[in-house]
Amino acid sequence: MGIRLHKEPDLVKPIMIASWPGIGNIGIIAVDTLRTTMGAEEFGEIEPWDFFYPKRVLIEKGELKELEFPYSKFYFKKDLGKDLLFFVGEEQPSDGGRAYAEGRKAYQIANLVLDVAQKFGCRLIYTSGAAVAPIHHAMKPRVWAVPNAEHLISEVKSYPNTILMSDIEGREGQGNITGLNGLMLGVAKKRGIEAICVMGEIPIYLQGLPIPYPQASRVVLEVLSAALGMRIETEKLNGFIERSEKEIERLYDKFPPEIKEQLDKLKHVAYSKPTEPGPITEDDKKRILEDIDKLFRKETKED
Amino acid sequence: MNENLAYRIYKEPKLQASSLIVGWNEDAGNLGDRVVKYLNEKLGCEEFGEIEPVEFFPLGGVSVEDNVAHFPESKFYSCPKKNLVLLKSNAPHAEWHKFLNTILNVAEQYCHTTEVYTIGGMVALSAHTTPRELFAISNSPKMKKILGQYNLNNDMDYETPPEQRPTISSFLLWVARNRALIAASLWVPLPFYLLATEDPAACKRVVEFFDTRFNLGIDLSDLDISVKKQNEKIASIRFSFPEIDKYIRNLESNVALSQEESEKLVRDIEEYLNKIE
Repeated sequence: MGIRLHKEPDLVKPIMIASWPGIGNIGIIAVDTLRTTMGAEEFGEIEPWDFFYPKRVLIEKGELKELEFPYSKFYFKKDLGKDLLFFVGEEQPSDGGRAYAEGRKAYQIANLVLDVAQKFGCRLIYTSGAAVAPIHHAMKPRVWAVPNAEHLISEVKSYPNTILMSDIEGREGQGNITGLNGLMLGVAKKRGIEAICVMGEIPIYLQGLPIPYPQASRVVLEVLSAALGMRIETEKLNGFIERSEKEIERLYDKFPPEIKEQLDKLKHVAYSKPTEPGPITEDDKKRILEDIDKLFRKETKED
Repeated sequence: MNENLAYRIYKEPKLQASSLIVGWNEDAGNLGDRVVKYLNEKLGCEEFGEIEPVEFFPLGGVSVEDNVAHFPESKFYSCPKKNLVLLKSNAPHAEWHKFLNTILNVAEQYCHTTEVYTIGGMVALSAHTTPRELFAISNSPKMKKILGQYNLNNDMDYETPPEQRPTISSFLLWVARNRALIAASLWVPLPFYLLATEDPAACKRVVEFFDTRFNLGIDLSDLDISVKKQNEKIASIRFSFPEIDKYIRNLESNVALSQEESEKLVRDIEEYLNKIE
């Protein structure tokens, strides 16, 4: 079980951006778009066989030629003013069928990623995932940001279109970030490395569907762009977003009218503080959110 | 038991350059399970060890099937006079790589194993009257050459389709190759309507191969009788139920059945075969 580095790039206090798949693949799409846009170069990987079940076998003329595993790769980009390290995991390791990594395997892989981060003197890590929120898909999603140290709160507050947990009504700064995109914050904290998780909002009614939500990946990219002080082209995502919007509209049209009627009310709900005076009263808002909650019988959660 | 090991050995078998045969429980038609049980009985094999389930299987309780509680097992048997090792095991749910290496650790350290075979059933949309073909996938040119001497198909091409995963047998072949151990997985296509009952013809096809490969000298007449009996039972069902006969005739003529027809055939064959028994 280990790391294989094909190259040892000479990096100066790089910032690492890491992601694994999760709800709507929001984080992984954002990080992968950033990585490919910048032309980052692959330089290493985590040996997969102790973490993953293989994903593909190739047999030719009766002989096993290849057994392919989900990848967990490292990339770097220099000379942009800030050196960057990327980590992209194709799957979260799982100990027996759970959707998101937890326990020993998750802890091991988080530590391996951090071993590489520390080896290259990484000073800050961003992870990215999804924030399931009572929003409508016609609305521009926002980004929830959670740092692993109090002194990073002011940094996070400077990001555009971003809210903290304490900005969300009823949460009082509390919450959970499931899976490796969240666990990395904790393991980094344990090792004294600063880290921030940026999560793009996904409508509550899309969380269980096996479709990506690149609309949220775009806002995550915008936040990363501001955080890194770099201009990042998000146009690459436009075609993807267009297709996704059509797919969601198609699915939305299939919802029963009474459900659609409830969900349409989300267009008028602002669940985070400070709220602007809107077309509905506080009582209406409370009732709509309760109805939606009943409808899905699931708590709002992050990944 | 050594607490640091994932396995327990009760008695060290006396084997040299042995061959390991792995049958997975719960594969298609329970073929691996049936073949290993059959060889165990015929060869009078002795259980000598097992892999502990703790790291590899969910142990939050037990599963109940047909009113009986089940527990994952991974048991090794040896047959010194034929230099064979058998493993009858559930496929692990976690720590797959460690589990497969544990199998090969036991095989190499205690049984000096030099070649490995796995057994598996494939679901086929064919009739039970179609002769059972044996397919083999090798993990090295050397193993492919060995298998080339036998009456089997070792020339197939395959790639995992999207949304599916490779079999645990393919994973074992890969792990064995990394340890310079030659290995092959053996596959028999099983008529889909016999998956829930049994397919003695498929069992016989695999046992025949091992019998020839290892000069086991097994008397296969009991399997011949089982095949004959099952064919007679299905023939009587076809005679009594024209609809079932029509479906099977279609399969014999390579005419595909609709999903509804296939499901009905599976249900009826299972029901009537059990009734006749």
